[in-house]
Amino acid sequence: MQAWYHCENVYPFVPQEILDHAESVRASLPNKYCDPKIAADLFQECLDEHLLCDDLGVNVVSIEHHSGINSLYGASPMILGILARQTKKVRILSLGTLITIRPDPVRIAEEYATADVISRGRLEIGFVKSGDSEMVSGNANPVGYVDRFWEAIDLIQKTLTSHDGPFSWEGKHYTHRHVNIWPPVYQRPHPPMWAATGDPETSAELGRRGMVNALVLRGPEASKRAFDTYRGARREAGLAEPGTDRFAYAALCYVGDTDEEGIRVGSKTLWFLNTSLKQSPQMSKFLPGRIPPEAAAQNYRTAPRPGAQAMRRPADSLIGITAEQAIARGILCAGNPDTVYTQIMDIYDKVGGFGHFIFIGRSGFLDHQEAEKGIRLLTKEVLPRLPAATSTPDARPAQAAE
Amino acid sequence: MAGEDTGSERLKVRGIDLEVLRRGTGRQILLLHGFQTIDPEARFLELLVPRGEIIAPSGPGFGNSPRPKDFDTVYDLVHLYLEVLEALPGDKLTLVGFSFGGWLAAEVAVACSNRLDKLVLVDPLGIKISDRETPDILDIFNKSPDEVRRRSWHDPDRFAPDFNAMSDEALVVYARNREALCLYAWHPYMYNSQLPRWLGRINVPTLLLWGASDRVVTPDYGRAYSRLIPGARFELIEAAGHHPEIEQPEAFAERVAAFLNQ
Repeated sequence: MQAWYHCENVYPFVPQEILDHAESVRASLPNKYCDPKIAADLFQECLDEHLLCDDLGVNVVSIEHHSGINSLYGASPMILGILARQTKKVRILSLGTLITIRPDPVRIAEEYATADVISRGRLEIGFVKSGDSEMVSGNANPVGYVDRFWEAIDLIQKTLTSHDGPFSWEGKHYTHRHVNIWPPVYQRPHPPMWAATGDPETSAELGRRGMVNALVLRGPEASKRAFDTYRGARREAGLAEPGTDRFAYAALCYVGDTDEEGIRVGSKTLWFLNTSLKQSPQMSKFLPGRIPPEAAAQNYRTAPRPGAQAMRRPADSLIGITAEQAIARGILCAGNPDTVYTQIMDIYDKVGGFGHFIFIGRSGFLDHQEAEKGIRLLTKEVLPRLPAATSTPDARPAQAAE
Repeated sequence: MAGEDTGSERLKVRGIDLEVLRRGTGRQILLLHGFQTIDPEARFLELLVPRGEIIAPSGPGFGNSPRPKDFDTVYDLVHLYLEVLEALPGDKLTLVGFSFGGWLAAEVAVACSNRLDKLVLVDPLGIKISDRETPDILDIFNKSPDEVRRRSWHDPDRFAPDFNAMSDEALVVYARNREALCLYAWHPYMYNSQLPRWLGRINVPTLLLWGASDRVVTPDYGRAYSRLIPGARFELIEAAGHHPEIEQPEAFAERVAAFLNQ
């Protein structure tokens, strides 16, 4: 199994009183509450954690969130560039630049190709749809973002695989009349592609495309549903049964010497759910485009009718969760090495297997020393015991350019 | 409101199927709705009926009008309503646009004044007048629902929609209307930067009615708007916000009637 270290580089140092009074901790929280000197320290620490992973042979994830306490990684391609140069061995997954809020996918392809070249072919490209407050901070229309998502992926893939001079793209959402990026990608035909999603339509399309389907903080049941949908879509399309190398599971995860330490320190990561998800209603449940009107309608009622189900974002159910609940729901793995191994394998069995385990090993007030200790223990005591991934017959691994 | 027997019919224009509310007879008065489609039970409709035949289509994606694939811009809406003008019998008609529909009505009038006898714009959007750091139009998507409610109505407690009291069908229409509006008008937000240049082409008698308490777009915005349309009259309706036709239906209908009778 491939393990991936994921750190959001959160900024937990805004006084709670400010957060309590803010309508949202994303998009509209003034940046005067972020001290750039503290931010500089956090960047150094988080990048050092990625370098530790490189030493230990654990892959790294570069994420992107915008304008809030939940992440300082607003400009993911810059972080990719640093990781591409400073790490030497491991693979680097971008999960990912928010393609639905960037106006020109060709520029994103250019950034990805550059990082792939700098890293000598260690880049993996993950796509995320985003939504919610990032549509607001990114000035992007939330209606129709799924269509933009797929067209952007198509254009990026075409850009990365075109090597014979300019081509023209006049699509529904993007036009670019002269596409010919330098440098080209290092890996051919292109770096492996992933997407983080949990909705059935997207999982099915990922299956048909053979992309890796990652579920982040969605628990085993939702992950199994997505993976089953992925498999079903491939069967219907006459494609080979996927190996576990097409499936990734992401959870908060902390390994301590003892269960007490693992849970005590690991619980700190729940800050991400309990504090950093707070978004104003206009940037979540009332934002058009994310939830179909037929389901969104119930969100307007303050007194729901009996039997009526309001449709919420999956993340809404995580706010206020306790460590016990988070462990029971497969959102958090925490304890001593044996305990965490058992928790991961329990999820593995419930899901039906996955070839990638993405562990969010630092969040909230969990500090740098604690994070490094958790990474070391997980790497040394747990990862070697996890089952190897099985491969997908028609998903050819990318090769370095001839 | 949706699906009930409230006099709503269908209108087909260039293969596009529209829900349309029709009332009364006589002079044709085409209403273009704002953020929300027009409630068939609205008092102002009843008061307008003696003035002529009311025709109020729901734009594609709004109300119970389906939205054709790739129909997703204000350009599409303007050309659709130009087609609606062509499709309606008679030589000339009166065009009334509310809020977002006021923007569309202004665009239609710029393109085709010769088909209109009068134009009424009610708290219309559609232009940018202030500097680049001063938004003219309240961002109803990015601002808090409480603020939007407060700034939309003179008396929100009395007139703002009561979601708990609305039927499931009405709530779905409400959410559909917001989604369609967002699709068409997210960017640039609710205006066409080129429109001010062309408003001078409107050569029919024009009345701008404005809720005195409107803080979605203020009366000063309305005054600036009216100065761009040759000979346009600007009138305030007291004790009304962005929707004077709902908060002050009698005053609204009286002003419209007086203007139409001139």
